[in-house]
Amino acid sequence: MKPGGVLKQARTSAPGLLVLIALVVSVATLTIVAVRGHPPVSRAQQVQQIAAGLHCPICKDLSVADSPAPLAQQMRQEIASKLGAGESADQIRADFVAAYGDSVLMSPPRQGLAGAAYYLPWLVLASGLIAAGVLLRRWLRASPPDQAGPVTSELSEAQLRTVANAVAQLRAEEPG
Amino acid sequence: MAGVIALVAVIVALLATGLGRDPSVIASPLVGRAAPNFTLPQLDGPSVTLSKLRGQIVVLNFWASWCTECQVEQSALDRTWQQFQDSGVVVIGVDFEDTAGDARNYVRTANVTYPVVEDAGARAALAYGLRGVPETFVVNRSGRIVSHVVGPINAARLGNEINTMLDARSR
Repeated sequence: MKPGGVLKQARTSAPGLLVLIALVVSVATLTIVAVRGHPPVSRAQQVQQIAAGLHCPICKDLSVADSPAPLAQQMRQEIASKLGAGESADQIRADFVAAYGDSVLMSPPRQGLAGAAYYLPWLVLASGLIAAGVLLRRWLRASPPDQAGPVTSELSEAQLRTVANAVAQLRAEEPG
Repeated sequence: MAGVIALVAVIVALLATGLGRDPSVIASPLVGRAAPNFTLPQLDGPSVTLSKLRGQIVVLNFWASWCTECQVEQSALDRTWQQFQDSGVVVIGVDFEDTAGDARNYVRTANVTYPVVEDAGARAALAYGLRGVPETFVVNRSGRIVSHVVGPINAARLGNEINTMLDARSR
């Protein structure tokens, strides 16, 4: 082994070591967060979170959290009151859906027909990729094989000699 | 080309279906379900608990003293109350987003004869999925919501609906 061989090996393995350290730190952080859970959320933040997921029934494209309408204000008060009574966020959302229907949710539910909003884009993307693959395969099969093959000369040996002689003569006549 | 024409035809058909709808009839998820219960204080009288009215037909009208469309339908509601109160029908006005003083003033000057309750905090309104006033729900004898009207009620239509329910019982 050359004298600088160990040093060179250490230099080349340094990025790998850094990636390993980063991975260990990330896994450790995620584990700590998962074990400890989220930091405690205040009642006002909980109300805000639930209200942000509900559509103000009398507004256009405004959530209950963002709307200044009196009805939205009353909905926020009702959310706070229900949280105070011990209802979970899911229960509160379910209560509003029971009264107003699925349209009260800012995001469509994943169940039922509305779930298509989540799955349809992926379905369309997969169909597009499959269609593109099928078309590409057909196109490759349809193109004649000699187009992509090596270029071959169709001149006879005598013709090739004539051409070579003519080129040599031209070069000889060139000045300098 | 034929596919594009078919697609356009489907879109036109869907739009035409929507144009034929009555805008005052909004499909409420509550129709056919049990009416959310409430106990609310009357403006001038004892509290009203909806579940205690089981066995009677209840016309629940959400209104406010500042609402002009509510004033338009008020006489029709009063007539319905006068006509059917002895037949087991109760009309209840639920005052929404209002002050008790304004509501009392309106009830007195407009001579509202049916019971009016105060929904401070709009808890009942939110339980009924209210979007504005006036909105009217008809609750049958078993406590289920059978219809929901957005905007001023049509007295004749409401009367027919009540008569149909009353006839069904007498048969």
